Amino acid sequence: MSTMNLEPVPGRTDEMIVNMGPQHPATHGVLRVVLGLEGERITRAVPHIGYLHRNHEKIEEARTYPMVIAYTDRMDYVSGTQNELPFVLAVEDMLGVEVPDRAKKIRTIFFELYRLASHLVWMGTAMLDLGAISPFLYTFWDREIILGIVEKTAGARMLPNYYTFGGVRRDVHPDFFKDVADFLDHMERRMVDYEHLVLESPVVHARTKGVGVLDQERAVARGVSGPVLRASGVAYDVRKAFPYDAYPDVEFEIPTSPDGDTYARFWVRFQEMYQSIRILRQLLELTPKTGPYKGRAPARLKPPAGERYRAVENSRGELGVLVVSDGSDKPYRVKHRGAAFSNLQIIPDLFVGAKFSDAIAILSSLDPVFGEIDR
Amino acid sequence: MRPIPIPEDRHFRPRLIGYDPQKSRPWLERTVYAAYVFVFWLIVIATYAGVPALFGALGWDGGWGFVLMRVLQVVLLFLLSAVIALLLILVLRKYLGKVQERFGPMHYGPAGGIQTVFDALKLLAKEDFVPAAADALTFRLAPAVTFVASFAMFAVIPFASGWVLADTNVGLIYLIAVSTLSAYGVLLGGVSSGNKWALIGALRAGAQMVSYEIPLALVFLTVAVWSGTLRLGGIVDAQLGLWNFLPLALPFVLYVIASLAELKHIPFDFPEAESELIAGYNVEYSGMSFAFFFLAEFVELFLLPALIVVFFFGGWHGPLFGIEPGSLAAGALESLYFTLKTAVWVWIFLWIRATLPRYRDDQLMEFAWKAMIPLALFGLVLAAYMRLIWR
Amino acid sequence: MSLLQEVWQAVKAIGTGMATVHKRVYEEAPTEFYPYVKPELPPVSVQSLALVENEDGSERCIVCLQCERACPAQVITIERHRNPEGKGFLIDRFDIDLVNCMYCAACVEACPVSSIVTIQDFEMSTYDLQTLKADIDFLHEQARRARQWYSPKFGVELRTDDGRIEKAPPEMQPGGLAEILKPAEEVDS
Ligand code: SF4
Ligand code: SF4
Repeated sequence: MSTMNLEPVPGRTDEMIVNMGPQHPATHGVLRVVLGLEGERITRAVPHIGYLHRNHEKIEEARTYPMVIAYTDRMDYVSGTQNELPFVLAVEDMLGVEVPDRAKKIRTIFFELYRLASHLVWMGTAMLDLGAISPFLYTFWDREIILGIVEKTAGARMLPNYYTFGGVRRDVHPDFFKDVADFLDHMERRMVDYEHLVLESPVVHARTKGVGVLDQERAVARGVSGPVLRASGVAYDVRKAFPYDAYPDVEFEIPTSPDGDTYARFWVRFQEMYQSIRILRQLLELTPKTGPYKGRAPARLKPPAGERYRAVENSRGELGVLVVSDGSDKPYRVKHRGAAFSNLQIIPDLFVGAKFSDAIAILSSLDPVFGEIDR
Repeated sequence: MRPIPIPEDRHFRPRLIGYDPQKSRPWLERTVYAAYVFVFWLIVIATYAGVPALFGALGWDGGWGFVLMRVLQVVLLFLLSAVIALLLILVLRKYLGKVQERFGPMHYGPAGGIQTVFDALKLLAKEDFVPAAADALTFRLAPAVTFVASFAMFAVIPFASGWVLADTNVGLIYLIAVSTLSAYGVLLGGVSSGNKWALIGALRAGAQMVSYEIPLALVFLTVAVWSGTLRLGGIVDAQLGLWNFLPLALPFVLYVIASLAELKHIPFDFPEAESELIAGYNVEYSGMSFAFFFLAEFVELFLLPALIVVFFFGGWHGPLFGIEPGSLAAGALESLYFTLKTAVWVWIFLWIRATLPRYRDDQLMEFAWKAMIPLALFGLVLAAYMRLIWR
Repeated sequence: MSLLQEVWQAVKAIGTGMATVHKRVYEEAPTEFYPYVKPELPPVSVQSLALVENEDGSERCIVCLQCERACPAQVITIERHRNPEGKGFLIDRFDIDLVNCMYCAACVEACPVSSIVTIQDFEMSTYDLQTLKADIDFLHEQARRARQWYSPKFGVELRTDDGRIEKAPPEMQPGGLAEILKPAEEVDS
């Protein structure tokens, strides 16, 4: 099991070694899992990653601080600005930059918009993995609206490079608040449909209930976070545990489920979308329409020598970054703590003993994004 | 390095053939479907009325002349199945497009109406590739087996009263035998491909077949017991007063579920399962071999709803408006009723396909063995009792 | 009884799902007809880069190398020499490797005179990647073809039909222009 390549057991003819990925449609990119299959049952599973490796951390060490922000975007490409925030927060801490209240709120609005977008992508692709085509196209259209709103302000759709030290790069578009409010109305209508198509569908129940159960101890021991952890009954959320930006100002709940199965992970993500809508509604009320969007950051960014770890609750879990500064204008070391990467570790635990079709459902419920896993 | 100068309009713009951006034209689409159905109808009339009339007029309706007539009818039916496949693929894509907030094919022909013809031409032009690891003979044979098994079902389908190739007394038994064969094609194709995904697909197809065939056969039996005949024409005739789906409600539901499984249709498309097995048993097929799998799939997508209509919805029955039964006009009208009823069922199947995710294969097996077979047996006994009491 | 209830629940849920899906048939599809109808992009949208010249055809760029320094992908290459008559520098070479550019617009933000700008010509597909290794003529050509462009310092600018460059009306400007127009101290306070 510990060897990277799965060798056939000598003398055993009932086991078939199958290579799932890296070009398999259900692996959300370039995951490769070598599976030992006994009929439909998985006997062994070895995940392989690294097919999308781009050497992010090393490149970032060779760039100045403002440049790094553009690179962090490229990690979890489904959830855009969420990746920028831990790095921005860490450097702001080191520099002691004051962030205006309004800038914090705008950042949080973008953060939650991208959470909705990311969960929509998850929902569509998960349903596609389970065999339903229609929800995929519905969710992608909703996500399109979010990306349109982001593009109007930030200039890009998926990799906006919008946060900066001390706030955001430019003020929001005049229509921004109205657009978001309209979108939330639209989204609330659509959530009813998604409930019908996803959460209430008996086929989804049959495919996911009791499948891939991750118990609480193992979830904590493996270091999973985010919806996967909360579906196992641990109410850990960085937004509550170590609040950042505007999260102390808004009310929201952390949905948890004691079951730990695939359905619980589906359910928790669904409830998170409702919570996101709730947070966004409050923030639309709270955010002043005009005001400063950026604090004063020094022109030459040279944080004092030292190190700082900051984490945020990204759509997939705790996304952290450790920045070590040696007092120059380039970070000495940048280490990202990827949420999807940590969540992926439980694949061998959950796959072994499951059916092959279950493996697809489990994988979709983990919602891996390979830009972040392979970095 | 000097960049190559960019011309002003440097981008490929597809030509506008029957296409108006910003606008969907439902009536044009409906006209296209109606045109396909009309062609379908014409072929049916030609097959079942035209050809026999022609041979009768020529006096060739005995001996070799009869054989020739049958061959001609089969050729026409092959044409019919091509029309069915073209229409159903078009409708499938259009309907899936509609429910998924997009348009489906739009560019070729009026409202995209001849897109599938181009697709078929493309498949014809493609290389028919046999992988090195495949068993070439079996690999090439498998699509033919699948297609022939589906196509052979046409022999006993009555399109109107008397409009049937073989009005045999063992029609139902023939159907059970032939429909089972199509799973062999899938099995052979999957096993001979030399691909692990195809092998898993074939295994799933085998496991699926043994689970749905039994309830399906039991439902056939129930219908036979209720109607008192194994002849499909007789089954339709027996529904003159009351269509079977009311007295045989339970077998009807079981039949719909089992035929979804037989079709390898969502929610039971395990042998293909794009997101799990990539394309399952046909992953290595290309060109015309693939097209024959496709053709077989869509011919079955017509035939199994057609059987629903024959068994439970009174086949060709419908108001005749005083036309004398048995005449050409009456046959034409009856076959139109039959086609339209079938179309409704095809649409329901497509609708299911647009909505539901996929079950897991062992769940179908569990359902088939633990629920469908007992229920089908119960339905059979119930039908027998009801028949004893009421008929 | 509970089994029957379960079956009924399942049938009802499937029915609701099917109704949910089918009701889309009566709604209008939000499809964009891209090759026939070009989408209207918001003015800040970063699709490509261009180097704007002044109305009289002289160079706006003062060759300060800010953009080269700010570029995270390090795809900008500028060579310059001192202007023999007068102040400043002249461009020898101004290349942007648009293949490796990641369209982060950091260069546009860094430029003190809004010479390098973002434009909205996204139809950059090509059979030959070498065509996207842009040199200064290419970048000027991009700017000449563009009807409008954006830079954080000047906001959206338009090119009129007779070739003049104008500031776009306020309703075309993206957010934050009020702050742009104000002196910098006010923004920070
Ligand atoms: S957009 Fe970004 S990557 Fe591209 S040239 Fe400008 S700074 Fe460099
Ligand atoms: S920052 Fe602007 S002015 Fe300076 S070199 Fe670049 S384009 Fe020219």
